[in-house]
Amino acid sequence: MRKLFFGLILAVALVWGAAAAQTVTVAAGAVGQELELVQAAAQRYMEANPGVTVNVLDTPDLADDRLGLYLQFFEAESSEIDVYQIDVIWPGDLAVHFVDLYDYGAGEVVDQHFDAIVENNTVDGRLIAIPWFTDAGLLYYRTDLLEQYGFAGPPETWTELTEMAQTIQDGERAAGNTDFWGFVWQGNAYEGLTCDALEWIASNEGGRIIEPDGVITVNNPNAIEVIELAASWVGTISPTGVTGFAEEDARLMFQAGNAAFMRNWPYAYSLGQEPGTAISGLFDVSPLPAGDVPGGRPAATLGGWQLGVSAYSNNPELAADVALFLASYEEQKIRAVEGSLNPTIQPLYEDPEVLEAAPFFGALFDVFINAVARPSTITAPNYAQVSSAFYTAVHDVLTGAEDAETAMALLELDLQAMTGFPTGTP
Amino acid sequence: MAVKTRARGPSALARGEERTALWLLLPSFLIIAVVALYPLGRVVMSSFTNERFAAGVELRGGQFIGFENYRQLLSLTLRSVPQRLDAEGQPMFADGEPVYEHPRLFLRGLDTPRAYDAVSVFDLFGNRYVLGASSARFIRAVWDTLVFTVSSVALETVLGMIIALTLTAKFIGRGVMRAAMLVPWAIITVVSARIWEWMLQPTRAGFFNAFLTEIGVIDRSIAFFQTAALQVPAMVMIDVWKTTPFMALLLLAGLSTIPTELYEAAEVDGANPVRRFFSITLPLLTPTLAVALIFRTLDALRVFDLFQVVYGEARYSMASYAYYQLIAARNVGMSSAASVIIFIVIFTFAILYIRALGVERDD
Repeated sequence: MRKLFFGLILAVALVWGAAAAQTVTVAAGAVGQELELVQAAAQRYMEANPGVTVNVLDTPDLADDRLGLYLQFFEAESSEIDVYQIDVIWPGDLAVHFVDLYDYGAGEVVDQHFDAIVENNTVDGRLIAIPWFTDAGLLYYRTDLLEQYGFAGPPETWTELTEMAQTIQDGERAAGNTDFWGFVWQGNAYEGLTCDALEWIASNEGGRIIEPDGVITVNNPNAIEVIELAASWVGTISPTGVTGFAEEDARLMFQAGNAAFMRNWPYAYSLGQEPGTAISGLFDVSPLPAGDVPGGRPAATLGGWQLGVSAYSNNPELAADVALFLASYEEQKIRAVEGSLNPTIQPLYEDPEVLEAAPFFGALFDVFINAVARPSTITAPNYAQVSSAFYTAVHDVLTGAEDAETAMALLELDLQAMTGFPTGTP
Repeated sequence: MAVKTRARGPSALARGEERTALWLLLPSFLIIAVVALYPLGRVVMSSFTNERFAAGVELRGGQFIGFENYRQLLSLTLRSVPQRLDAEGQPMFADGEPVYEHPRLFLRGLDTPRAYDAVSVFDLFGNRYVLGASSARFIRAVWDTLVFTVSSVALETVLGMIIALTLTAKFIGRGVMRAAMLVPWAIITVVSARIWEWMLQPTRAGFFNAFLTEIGVIDRSIAFFQTAALQVPAMVMIDVWKTTPFMALLLLAGLSTIPTELYEAAEVDGANPVRRFFSITLPLLTPTLAVALIFRTLDALRVFDLFQVVYGEARYSMASYAYYQLIAARNVGMSSAASVIIFIVIFTFAILYIRALGVERDD
């Protein structure tokens, strides 16, 4: 009797343990329709693999907040989450917390993905995350308003954008929409401002804050000039509150039809084109404007997210399978068609269905390929502090707390103290 | 009381009971040790190290670096800002006013072992001074938190008292009013912070901007959370809205313990309502008020959720600065040191209150 009893307990424990081991939890983003997309993908995986449960944990919208959450799981070496969606700037910092996906069959598929991103995700020869989608900053503009105010096409320089935005804004306000603004973007003191400001500076021949070879170049006249220009937008063509805006604040305003131009990532495209929005069919995207200096050319900050498998997962094999499934050709195609999330697999940019849903993928292919990377690799593991110092300095200029010249001079000193790198010209 | 009993020579029975009491208290002591003393000790320990957060198994612990974190957080310097010199080396003037060096650049140009940033700049007796700190943002966070605490607690006390006095009077619907009053307090802070964030949006999508434009008070939307001068007042407003009910509730409980006979007697003696309030209500309410003030002050000093939700890294409270140091900068040592400083500040306030309000009376 007693033996039978223990036997039963053992059996229950085994079954329960096995069932528990068949659960994979994915920590994913929820910006725009990201969460719905990954939930649908999880459903497809579960249908193809009966007996496996894939849970999706939704995480904060702001990248900084999301990193904070992840770090708490890592510090506790928690097996709670198996697959993490990680930002393109994190691999260097977080490498120790992820398994090498080459040990779990990633070698067979890795060649499909863009080399630059694979390289970014490879730390000491270990592939710590599989590319999932890539991102680059784009200029969204209202085709109907440009036509109405007699502009032939989207602005090519920041000065042009400033003038066009002002003209359209004045006209729309006079026509009765007092809530109309010319240009919305990400101006809050967070990682998003680093992306926006890097675009301004790089497009104005002002370098990349810290160059890939470890030279601090941010304190130069071109950078100062363009940051001053951006500061002049606040309260004129952009709402004063833009210094508190993140991606979604800008998108909601543009999507409601209350802005002529917007800087945002590709995800906002399919949301804006959904039937029923105020701007459906009335907007398009183009590369961001260039600086007004000789040699100035458009620059887009490289963004994008990867899937890594936690080194503390109870079932890394299954987790890796889920990660590779989510990043596969078919799944990336669905995400491109339904969510205008940029694939990391080149052939998808020639897929007719993808191009029909997001025509700009073809036209702006070069933008995505040539996106400017933030200095995360060279400054690892101090990138978060470097970025924080940078966006705080820029934010100070935007809010008028400091002038651009002083802010950049002080930033240069701070970056020197943080990294020990020399200073130079871009 | 136990001491007095022992002095008279306790019986064997009493001593036995004392032992039992100690045994019964032991679990509580153990729990306090585990949940309070251990974490506190751990924070104090790591505040003397350069430990990194989530650095992986190999790099656990960090190294002992003494008081370095505290020095980095608390180093201050007061300097006179020199006047800017023109090409001939003469002090510069513009419209008769002296032109000074940029205070932040001046501080960074000093040959000091620690880099200082400006916390505040002020003119005194014809000179310009700058207060510099090696962690200017922490010093500003401490100052902001103190301003936030003093103003929000003061407003909450006054408003809470008014509400409590109103609700202590007998009128129809008093029960409903008392329940309704508690609604803001019942809402989770993160949620109420978000609600207010929406209402205070910098465009007319926000209630306040829409309302104020509608009635013609302003002709341009105000960016409440993005204007430096309005940032702390906005926090105070949200906190007052949320926690006044708590204050009112505590005071209401205190009011209900005051015997009505006192008021009747005072009325017979011809004391007017104002006199009755200051001679009866306030003195008898002091112990309650003291408890309520201590509660609220200590609570306000460690404000985190409001600042974190609304401002993130745009403006810190003491606690959200400690969070920033831990999570974004991954600097466990600095974060712990900041937490210990917060602990000391709060502890000081608690002692000051207890002294000033005489809570510890032996009666």
